[in-house]
Amino acid sequence: MDIITARNLTVGYGLSEVLCDISFAIPARRITAVVGISGSGKSTLLKTLAGLLPPLGGGFEFAGRPVDYRSEASLRNLYGRIGVLYQDGALLNGLSLYENVALPVRMHYPELPEAVVRDMVHAGLAQVEMADSAEKSPSELSGGMRKRGALARALVLDPEVVFCDEPSSGLDPITSQRLDDLLLRLKETFKMTLVVVTHELRSIERVADRVILLNDGGLRFAGDYADLAASEDEFIRTFFLTKDHHHDDA
Amino acid sequence: MSGPPMALDQAGPMVMPKRLRAAEIVAVVPEIRRRSAESLITVDFREVEEFDTSTVAFLRHLTACFPGVVAANVPDALARAEAGFARRPDACWPEKPAVAPTGSRWGRFLQSMAGRFLARMRLLGRYMAMFGDEVYHIGLYLRKRKGVYPGETWNQMFFMGYRSFPIVCLLLFLVGVTISITSAEQLRLFGADIYIADLVGYAMLRELVPLMTGVILAGKVGAAVTAELASMTVLEEVDALRTMGVVPEKFLMVPRLIAITLVVPLLVAMADVAGIFGGIVTARITFGILPSAFLDQMLNTVDWTDFTWGLVKTVVFGWAVVVGAGFKGLTVGRSAEEVGRATTESVVLSITLIIIIDCIFAFVLY
Repeated sequence: MDIITARNLTVGYGLSEVLCDISFAIPARRITAVVGISGSGKSTLLKTLAGLLPPLGGGFEFAGRPVDYRSEASLRNLYGRIGVLYQDGALLNGLSLYENVALPVRMHYPELPEAVVRDMVHAGLAQVEMADSAEKSPSELSGGMRKRGALARALVLDPEVVFCDEPSSGLDPITSQRLDDLLLRLKETFKMTLVVVTHELRSIERVADRVILLNDGGLRFAGDYADLAASEDEFIRTFFLTKDHHHDDA
Repeated sequence: MSGPPMALDQAGPMVMPKRLRAAEIVAVVPEIRRRSAESLITVDFREVEEFDTSTVAFLRHLTACFPGVVAANVPDALARAEAGFARRPDACWPEKPAVAPTGSRWGRFLQSMAGRFLARMRLLGRYMAMFGDEVYHIGLYLRKRKGVYPGETWNQMFFMGYRSFPIVCLLLFLVGVTISITSAEQLRLFGADIYIADLVGYAMLRELVPLMTGVILAGKVGAAVTAELASMTVLEEVDALRTMGVVPEKFLMVPRLIAITLVVPLLVAMADVAGIFGGIVTARITFGILPSAFLDQMLNTVDWTDFTWGLVKTVVFGWAVVVGAGFKGLTVGRSAEEVGRATTESVVLSITLIIIIDCIFAFVLY
């Protein structure tokens, strides 16, 4: 079953179209990697799917319901069902990690007793193995810890889909692998749908069930990761299958 | 494009040097331009051994864009590089066609001024829309008590009030001293020394305290709020709030607006006291007027209405500053340098608005 279905979607900024007339589906309870070279529109597409950037044309459905950017209720419904892990975490610097994770809970359910909020925050931080750092401020955390903390914040309200914008960027291979393992655990344990924007080939290899490849303002490939190996497309072979490319990336 | 066929240049082919990189290209281009304007010329590359990207682009430019020039004896290595370059569709950038100006000079000037005026009006419209949104958000918050982080209003009150209090009092004390000294000489000429109390009291309560407090808030609070919100925008924290289902215009702005509304009366009261105290000190030293006589005289002229209007004006200035700061901070682009630009623009916008609003108040009140 597909949780997101995009039809003839055109995204961009103002009059500038970054991706034009693309259609694809993102299956539920799987990890879909959105990949492409720098500037191919990965993050722009993610912003549109996350309700931050209105499409210039076409549209998409979330769980069978069209997302209407002109309707506040439609966007509120979308925001209530997704979590987003931003490239640098985007934790609020004025709040501790605990307060950051508690923020969505307190904003959506201000009448919840503090003890319940505390348990929810602890559960979120425990999922990402960060319970010990709850009282630290974001500036005291390393890059990897900030991302895991931000993931805890994205997960605290049990979203149906988590969008991750380049989760491995700027991380060493070991931290990057730990983050990938965490994403896999979320999928397997909590049956979560994850959409991961990345160009880290090792990360794609480790976590992706499906791949959406963007190039030249359009969709180059959308399908299972396993099908990539059979592709005869020169660009796809260069991007994914050249051994040297793997080594360079590493 | 057709024209009369040009004759072949009699001086023979122009032979390019062995090393042909950007510096050498710069040296040969003027001559190519001069000779190709008069006749057909051949540019000979046979001796070129050292070349780089600029050489390839130069060759592209010659063969694709320069009529009247023929490239000859291009070495294989350079030809291969050029062929690779040529496969890229954007290798030779199209030159932008020159747009001929239309209309008279005055017409163009007026058109440009009208364009700028309309841009400013659009900006003002967006600012007013945000102002309206904030009034709505505050109303909603006061009714439902939801959507704002607990304790944030206190933090903002501490920053806007407690941290601004020393500078506001110091500057208004000095303004009180200055206005007394500058008016003392004139009043002495007419033997109207005691009226310095009326002047200081009225000017301070009605005009100088609100205006100076507004300007200090624009520089201190407005700049800090813009820088903070703009940094949050650049670091995607505002986007993060939005995707959490939190309305940033409410979450970030309502505590600041409530804080400024609550701290301004205290600031104004303190600033009034400091300014009048500055006047009293100067009057005592310059004219030997006793503080009790100064206050008696001042209270004959000023009353609670003056204090209240000064207070109302400062609250409106405070709102203009905070909404201006939020407007600039939340609509900033995505680069770090825009944070600085937005901060400067916010201060300029706030001070401009303060003076415009003050002018409107002057028409209404006097």
